[in-house]
Amino acid sequence: MKRVYRDINKALSDEVLQQNLDTFYHNYRESHRKAYEGLNFNDLRKEVGVIKSLKPEDRFALFEEFKNNVEKAGAFVFEAKDSKEACEYIVSVCKRHNAEYVVKSKSMTAEEIKLNPYLERNGIKPIETDLGEWIIQLAKETPSHMIMPAIHKNRKQVAKLFREHLNVDVDEDDIEGMVKIARHYLREYYFKAKVGISGANVAVVETGTIGIVTNEGNGRLVTTIPPVHIVVLGYEKLVKTFEDALKILRVLPKNATGQIISVYVTWIKGAVESLNSSSGKKELHFVFVDNGRKALMDNPYFNEALKCIRCGSCANVCPVYGVLGGHVFGHIYTGPIGAILTSFYHDDKKAMELLSLCCGCKACSEICPANIDIQKLISDIYGGLRFKYGVDKLRSSVYSGVLSKPSAMKRIAKVGSLILKTVEKNSHLNSCLMPKKHDFRVLPVPKEESFSSLFRKKFEALQTTVKSEKTVFFYPGCAIEYVYPEIGESVVKFLNKIGLRVKIPEKMVCCGYPAVHDGDKISAKRIINESVKYLPVEESFDYFLVLCPTCGTTLKYLFREFVSDTPREYKKVKFVEEKIVNLSRLLDDLNVKVKTKNGILFTYHIPCHQNRGLHFNGEKFLKSLLPNYYMPMRDADRCCGFGGSFSIDYPQVSKAILDKKIENIVDTNASVVVTECPGCIMQIRGGLLKRNIPVEVKHLSEFLDEYVEVE
Amino acid sequence: MNDIDRFLKMSEYVGNRNVVLARDEFERFLEENVGSYDFVHLKCLDRFNKVCEIQKEGIKSAIVEADFAIAETGTVVIESKGENLRRATSLCDNLSVVVDASRIVPNLEGIADFLRETTQDSENYVSFITGASRTADIEMSLTLGVHGPEEMTVYVLK
Repeated sequence: MKRVYRDINKALSDEVLQQNLDTFYHNYRESHRKAYEGLNFNDLRKEVGVIKSLKPEDRFALFEEFKNNVEKAGAFVFEAKDSKEACEYIVSVCKRHNAEYVVKSKSMTAEEIKLNPYLERNGIKPIETDLGEWIIQLAKETPSHMIMPAIHKNRKQVAKLFREHLNVDVDEDDIEGMVKIARHYLREYYFKAKVGISGANVAVVETGTIGIVTNEGNGRLVTTIPPVHIVVLGYEKLVKTFEDALKILRVLPKNATGQIISVYVTWIKGAVESLNSSSGKKELHFVFVDNGRKALMDNPYFNEALKCIRCGSCANVCPVYGVLGGHVFGHIYTGPIGAILTSFYHDDKKAMELLSLCCGCKACSEICPANIDIQKLISDIYGGLRFKYGVDKLRSSVYSGVLSKPSAMKRIAKVGSLILKTVEKNSHLNSCLMPKKHDFRVLPVPKEESFSSLFRKKFEALQTTVKSEKTVFFYPGCAIEYVYPEIGESVVKFLNKIGLRVKIPEKMVCCGYPAVHDGDKISAKRIINESVKYLPVEESFDYFLVLCPTCGTTLKYLFREFVSDTPREYKKVKFVEEKIVNLSRLLDDLNVKVKTKNGILFTYHIPCHQNRGLHFNGEKFLKSLLPNYYMPMRDADRCCGFGGSFSIDYPQVSKAILDKKIENIVDTNASVVVTECPGCIMQIRGGLLKRNIPVEVKHLSEFLDEYVEVE
Repeated sequence: MNDIDRFLKMSEYVGNRNVVLARDEFERFLEENVGSYDFVHLKCLDRFNKVCEIQKEGIKSAIVEADFAIAETGTVVIESKGENLRRATSLCDNLSVVVDASRIVPNLEGIADFLRETTQDSENYVSFITGASRTADIEMSLTLGVHGPEEMTVYVLK
């Protein structure tokens, strides 16, 4: 078995990890919401995004100014081109001071350059003073989260570590007692150490001052007691003014841990008084680590990821991180941004593995306080690496050869339908064909007749009889065209009922998302250009309706990039973008009122690409539509684990995410789950069927067609 | 809500004990209680100041004056250029901080000028402190006093 699958299975069966991650996911979301009460998060993060998007030439000028300012205040500045140079410099400073011990406060840059093992090889003992970092240092592990490095451990495991390494008696249930032990033990080392090493959260250029954020106060002690202080940092930490730094400080703790502010923010300028130094002054060193940063800054695209302020919130909301943790979904940097940073600073192979674990839900892009579209960067970099290593030629040929050709799609769907129907009738055959790890959901069989064909037969002629000024152009997308034509039929019926005329594309061509998500830009361009041919022209429609928010998001935000060299198509796409709606949004706009036919209780699962792609969450609308029958679902906007090809590549992870969704569905006591994405329907319905749970899953259009009357 | 009330609310939110006093009340309080502090560093009432050597064993309690406070976050801002002051605020079990109500700025940006002035021409060390030292590194369970103070009291002088 591939190592990554072994690691995944290990993480999924680690009960402590699963429980800790689950608790954290829920606590975090609530505290994040509370921390931003009364503030406009989107405005704040846009501002931080601007502060952190410096042009490379500005950044270099800022570095010179910073250097000049700190040197005037008695500090030394060293530029290390790579990890080795950085480590060598730090060791040389330690050796000059005969340091047996160095105390460290948490620094991801120090982790990046693998400083601890380097110090140890040189006979210097690094002592991590952040409690979480110290725990994993004792366990000889790496951080599994950027802010909470020991999130994967429970109190019993910590007690065991303390017993083994410190030779003390520990009550394994007494967390406070363990914290006291750490306080007592680590206190010694601040005074024993000749050198303190820290990172910096911000480096303020205008006066040459760094800002360090901690909750424990270890940062203050590391930078105060030892006579020497070494700061390890990247060029991306430079900001022009204190105002800029304080704006970052406003979002950093809120996003990291849901705190309004961290307990300690320490501002250090130059070589301050030091009681333990023979000169009476602190010896202060800045080690700026390049490790490829300077080269990446040149590229506006990679420069985007350098905006990261290391809050770790992308991991906090990531459904994949939420079931795997940072030892599997991370290398040194963890979580979604970690996948990108691994491609920057560590090796391609590891990076590809991490990038491939993205399910594309966009939760990271939505939470990032520096306004980085993390999911898009992941998908694009993954595409670049796949192209470089020429992997998955089969998938690319499917994208290019089939998805861009409606006639080929139709033929394949037909053949598939026949084969799968035979399989479906014969359960023995089914279990032979479906490998066990993929057998966690019942998958639907494609229909012999496509939606477009049904529409032409049954509905097209009727459209002229609808007495309405308004026309809806309905783009069915592949799932409805080939797998769920009944969903398409229900929407046509419902829209006609409320007096809207429906048109569909002359030919249904895929939106290209599978190729885009897999980073196959060449196939994506081919598919999208074919698809654009059948988009409607300006005068012919009022709304452009999608029942699949992934198609909608692709059309709305990604099509333009693939037609940017052909003006006519570009204009066509721009016009369509403006008109794209999902069903709940359309009905909300039209102020549709309904009443229930049979009083059935329902809940609503919010598809990722609807909420975070089309930016319309139908929850509120549905609640107002049928307030007495709507049952709220916990984490309604958490991914269902489908993610297209993600669920095929990583079925175990997909299942683990789906399990959480199903648990939340069952808790609502609703009889129907309403949602607005065929992918989610495939996943959730399939999972419920497999588990014999009698809850129906309906697309909003089916629900409206079957269970309500228009008032 | 005015800045003083907002500051008090946020300071309470992080678990601080807050006391609002008139200056003369505070003076009387000090006269009676100054003996209970190991370290006293006040600008407004420097006749009470008291220095002691602070080593790894730490000290029981310290009372110091903040230069500013920030209403938005419940933070006190202390210029701590001298190492003894830094040690006192980092290594005491109970930290008390005094701030004049007129020194409360509404938000984080309001402290930018002070940071600029104090770090413009010479070396310096400025601390923002918002509550007692804390960690949640074991099972996300909030625990106070991991490295520094276990308790914090704020005296706001009106």
